[in-house]
Amino acid sequence: MSASPFPYPSPPSVGLLYTDHHAWLRTWLQRRLGNAADAADLAHEAFLRLILKPAPRGFDSKLEARAYLRAMAQGMCINLWRRREIEQAWLDTLAAQPPAFAPSAERQAIVLQALQEIAALLSELPPKAAQAFLMSAVCGMTAAEVGQELGVSSRMVRKYVAQAMLRCMQAQAMQTAAALRQAAAP
Amino acid sequence: MAAPAGRPQRADDAGPPPHDIMEQAAQWYALLVSGEAGAAERAQWQAWLASHPHHRRAWAYVESVSQRVLAPLQNSPDPRLLADKVHAVDARTRARRRALAAIGAVAGTGLLGWAGWSRTPLGGLVASWTADYRAGFGDIRAFTLQDGSRIWLNAASAADVDMDGGLRRVVLAAGEILVSTRHGDPRPFVVDTPQGRLRALGTRFTVRREPGRTFLAVYEGAVAIRTAGNATAGVIPAGQQARFGPDRIDAAAPADPAREAWTRGELIAWDLSLAEIVDELGRYYPGHISLAPDVARRRVFGTFPLRDVDGALAMLAEAASLRLRRPLPWWISIEAGPAAVPPRS
Repeated sequence: MSASPFPYPSPPSVGLLYTDHHAWLRTWLQRRLGNAADAADLAHEAFLRLILKPAPRGFDSKLEARAYLRAMAQGMCINLWRRREIEQAWLDTLAAQPPAFAPSAERQAIVLQALQEIAALLSELPPKAAQAFLMSAVCGMTAAEVGQELGVSSRMVRKYVAQAMLRCMQAQAMQTAAALRQAAAP
Repeated sequence: MAAPAGRPQRADDAGPPPHDIMEQAAQWYALLVSGEAGAAERAQWQAWLASHPHHRRAWAYVESVSQRVLAPLQNSPDPRLLADKVHAVDARTRARRRALAAIGAVAGTGLLGWAGWSRTPLGGLVASWTADYRAGFGDIRAFTLQDGSRIWLNAASAADVDMDGGLRRVVLAAGEILVSTRHGDPRPFVVDTPQGRLRALGTRFTVRREPGRTFLAVYEGAVAIRTAGNATAGVIPAGQQARFGPDRIDAAAPADPAREAWTRGELIAWDLSLAEIVDELGRYYPGHISLAPDVARRRVFGTFPLRDVDGALAMLAEAASLRLRRPLPWWISIEAGPAAVPPRS
């Protein structure tokens, strides 16, 4: 049941790691998510990540490998829940609109994509910076109004907004770089 | 733990904007949306934008974030409700994460600049508020000089005129000027720019200042150029145009008669890129016009009214299937998309 602390004699290949841990990881994920399809997807993704970005120190034992995979899978679960909840938040917002209001499917997909991106970025920021950015950049509130709601000075609000915008700009830069790399790939 | 090898920092135009510049751009954004920025701050921001290509590239990232991520949310049916719900999800995500020993897997950030494009008309004007003849944003003005010559100042342009010595001398301080000289006056008629002196040989021509260069188009007669740095000389005949810097004159090319149309309040676009058109329209608009990089190279044909930039942009949006947004009352953003024109401010 639990992983044996057998050491790996030499750094294990991803193939060996897959043989040793894939079934275990999928079961672990299924218990946590309560859904076999999601569990299979995430287990697959976890090994893909391991191929693309190997663990920095490698693994000396099965125990170590499982600890690493579990931590990675936990993070993936949290992201999956966030994505699902954001989707629900958007559907709830739409449901609260008058019945005549029906944006096109394309429009909806654009908004949802933007929401997912911003939610992912905000979660890396201090909570108040995340909130200040939402109020200021999405709701169009002035720094004074945001400051009043959050109980901070408008100067502080500007600092938060700048911090959040910088994070978004960096993500944008990474995305652009990734897109260019992809375009350059044969 | 070994640090990753440092990426070589490049200072040339293709390099990424340095981190502190990205930070400055983010701070400008925060100030501009705070509701606390007045005309003075906006002018400072424009001056900042104009002062270095890095600044413009960093600002291009602000614009892409604003267009790609923020605009769809701002235009969603109920941004406030949506923001509250996103905040709630964010709070739950944080609570879950606190229970988790995070893996410190931070992806290396390769900042890659792209050719951001943005028009900053204010730079030259600030220096020219003391000039004799001025035309503000959206203004095209015609003057008759003491000797009977006519000059038209394009928008955001300024010139000094000195007729007292043995010369009829016009100093172009900013922007663009069309000159139609009066025949019969024995004194030479010259136009000076930082890059050199233009001497009219009985004529009608436009002179325009560009960063570090002067643009000349001759419609009648001819114009002699003498560069400021090393006194290179050349003559541009009617129907030709050329650019020159302080040390050299570029090869002349056929002049585009449409370039004169601004004196009639028209912009004639014959296979111009969107970037060039917006650059031109920006001279007639006191605010900021930004253009998404992915549409900047689209070619456009048509005639656009220069005295009505809102109208011109609406026509452009319809002709080229673009979307106009106004993130702020004085800021028009042009993006790819189905034509949708926001109400005029």
